Amino acid sequence: MRRFLLDIFSFDDRPRFERVGFLLFLLVLLIFPWIVTSAYGRAVAIKFLLFALFGLGWNLIGGYGGQVDLGQAKNVGFGAYATALMIVWWKVPFWLTILPGMVIAAAESFAIAYPMFRLKGHYFAIATLCVALVWKELFIFWDWTGGARGVELSIRSGADFVYMQFNSPIYYHYFIFFLFLLQFFFMNWFRKSKLGYQVQAVRDNEDAAASLGINVYRTKVVNYTITGGLGALGGSFMAVYYLYIDPDAVMPLDLSILIAMTVMVGGAGSIWGPIIGAAILIPLDMYLGAWLGAQKRLGIDFMIYAVIMMIIAAKEPKGIWGIIERVIKRQKR
Amino acid sequence: MNCPYPDTLRNQMELVVQLIVYGILMGMIFALIALGLSLIFGVMNIVNFAHGEFLMMGMYIAYLLSTFLRLDPLFSLPVAAGAGYILGILSYRLLIHRILRGPMVAQLFGTFGLMLFLRYLAMYIFTPDVRSVKQGILVGKTLSLGWISVDASKVVSAGLCLIAFAAIYWMIYRTKLGRALRATSIDSEAAKYMGIDTRGMNALAWGIGGATVALAGALLAHFYYVTPTVGMLFTLIAFATVALGGFGSIIGAFIAGIVIGLIMVISGQLVSELKFSFIYAVYFLVVVLRPRGLFGW
Repeated sequence: MRRFLLDIFSFDDRPRFERVGFLLFLLVLLIFPWIVTSAYGRAVAIKFLLFALFGLGWNLIGGYGGQVDLGQAKNVGFGAYATALMIVWWKVPFWLTILPGMVIAAAESFAIAYPMFRLKGHYFAIATLCVALVWKELFIFWDWTGGARGVELSIRSGADFVYMQFNSPIYYHYFIFFLFLLQFFFMNWFRKSKLGYQVQAVRDNEDAAASLGINVYRTKVVNYTITGGLGALGGSFMAVYYLYIDPDAVMPLDLSILIAMTVMVGGAGSIWGPIIGAAILIPLDMYLGAWLGAQKRLGIDFMIYAVIMMIIAAKEPKGIWGIIERVIKRQKR
Repeated sequence: MNCPYPDTLRNQMELVVQLIVYGILMGMIFALIALGLSLIFGVMNIVNFAHGEFLMMGMYIAYLLSTFLRLDPLFSLPVAAGAGYILGILSYRLLIHRILRGPMVAQLFGTFGLMLFLRYLAMYIFTPDVRSVKQGILVGKTLSLGWISVDASKVVSAGLCLIAFAAIYWMIYRTKLGRALRATSIDSEAAKYMGIDTRGMNALAWGIGGATVALAGALLAHFYYVTPTVGMLFTLIAFATVALGGFGSIIGAFIAGIVIGLIMVISGQLVSELKFSFIYAVYFLVVVLRPRGLFGW
C-alpha cells in the first residue's frame, strides 16, 4: 500500500528543478482565482486546466504510445453526452455520471481498437479520424441524443454540489483543478507502472518489445482503451460547465486536433508536456483569438498555430519540453 | 425530380439509372482528386493532409476569375493547374523535405500544419462566407439524353478529368521522366545511385499532385460551393479513394474513385444525413480487411 502511494505521489526520478517548478505551478493555480478577478481571466484558467486534462489523457496514446490518434473528441463527446443525458433524463447526480461515461468511451475504444491496431502510422491516424467523424454524424442524425439541437441542462440556483453547477467560476476552477490533479497523479503512477513501461517499450521498438515477451497487440489495445476512458472525464466536466452541448461543441475534428496539438507542442511522451502545451496554446487562443476576432481578422490566430506546428514538426519533434531539456543538459555540462 | 405519376417501376428504374450516371460522373472527379495524393504517397511514403486545401485553392481561383475578371470558369483551369503546381513545389521545398527524415508523428503534424495554414489563410482572405461560381457557359445548364438529364458541367468535368488522367498516366508510364519517378518510388536510395535527382522527383510529384488537385478544384467549382473549410471533406474522400484503390496505384485510384462516387450517391439517396459516414466506413473496412486495396502492391 505504501509502495502504491509512493508511486502515485513521488517524483523522485525527476530532477529537483522539475519538482520545485511543479510545486510553484500548483501554488499559482491554487491562488489564481484570488489574484485574477476578471471573469475572462478565470475562464482562461479553467479552459487551460481542461485542455491540460485532455492533453494528459491523450499523451497516453500519442506520447507514451507513439500512435497518432486524431479522434479523441469522440471520447470527450461520449463523456459529455453521458453526463448531460443522464442528468436531463433521470436527474442522476453528477458524480454518478462520470463512471458510466468513462466506461462507455472505454468500451467503444476497446471494440474499435481490436480491428484498428492492425494498422500503423498514417493508416491508423486516418482511421481514428474517420471513426470520430462517423460518431459525430451519428450523434447529429439520432433523435434521442437531441440531434443537431444538442442537450440543454436546466440551470440551478446557487452552489449545487450534487449536480456541480455554480454561479461563480471560482467553484469551477477548483472543481476542474481537482479533476486535473486526479488525472495527473494517475499519469504519474501510470508512467512508472508495468503497463507504462510496456507501452513505451512498444513505442521505441516493437520487435524488441515482442522478443522480450511483451504482447504488443494487447498493450496497444489496453492503452487505447484507457485513453478513451480518460477523454470522457473532461467531457463530463464540459457538460456541467457549459450547460449546453451539441455535437459541434463536444465532438468536432478541431477539438481532436487541438488536443493532439497541445501535447505535440508541449512535448509528447513527457508528463509536463501537455501542461506546457496547454499553457501556451490556450491563452494564445483566448486572448489573441478574441483580440483579432474583435478586429474582424478571422483566422490569423490559427495561422500562427499552424506555423508553430510546422516549425515544431520540422525542427523539434519533441516539442518545447525537448528544447528545455536540451538547454538544461548543456548547462550542466 | 418531379414525378407526375406515383412510384411505378419505370420511375424507380429511371431514378436508379440517373443515380448511377451521376455517381460515375462524380467518381471521375474524386479520382482526379485522389490521383495526386496517391502519387505523392507512392513516391515518398508521406500522406498529405493539406490535399483538400489545394483543391479549395483551385476552387477559389475559379471563383475569383469568374467573379472579378468575368472570365468563364473554364479559362481558369490552366491558371488553377499552374498555381497548384507552384504551391506543390513550394510546399515541398519549404516544408516537406525538412520533415521527410523525421519520425512519422512529425510528418503527420507537418502536413496537418500546412492544412491549417492554408485553410485559415483562405478564411482570412475570403471570410467564412459560402461562395459559388454564378456564370459560365456550363454553369446551371443541363443535358438531356432521353429521360436521363444531367448537369452539363458535370459531364464536361468528367470528360476533362478523364483526359487529365490519361495524360498523367502517359507521362508516368511512357516517358523517361515518368520512369525516373517510378524508380524513385520503388527504391529511392537505388534511384539516387543511378544518378536520378530524387529530390527533384519528390518535388515533381508534389507539383503534379498539386496541379491535378487544383484542376479538379476548378472543375468542381462549376457545381459545388466554396468555403475555406471545404477541403477536409475532400481530403477524407481522397483518403478513402486511395485506400480502396491501393496507395500508390494510379489505375486503382481511377476505379476506386468511381466506386466511391457510386457509394456516395446511392447512400446519399438512402440516408442523406449519413452519406459521408459510408465513405469513412469504406476507408475503415478496406484498410482493416484488405490493406493493399484493390490494386496496391
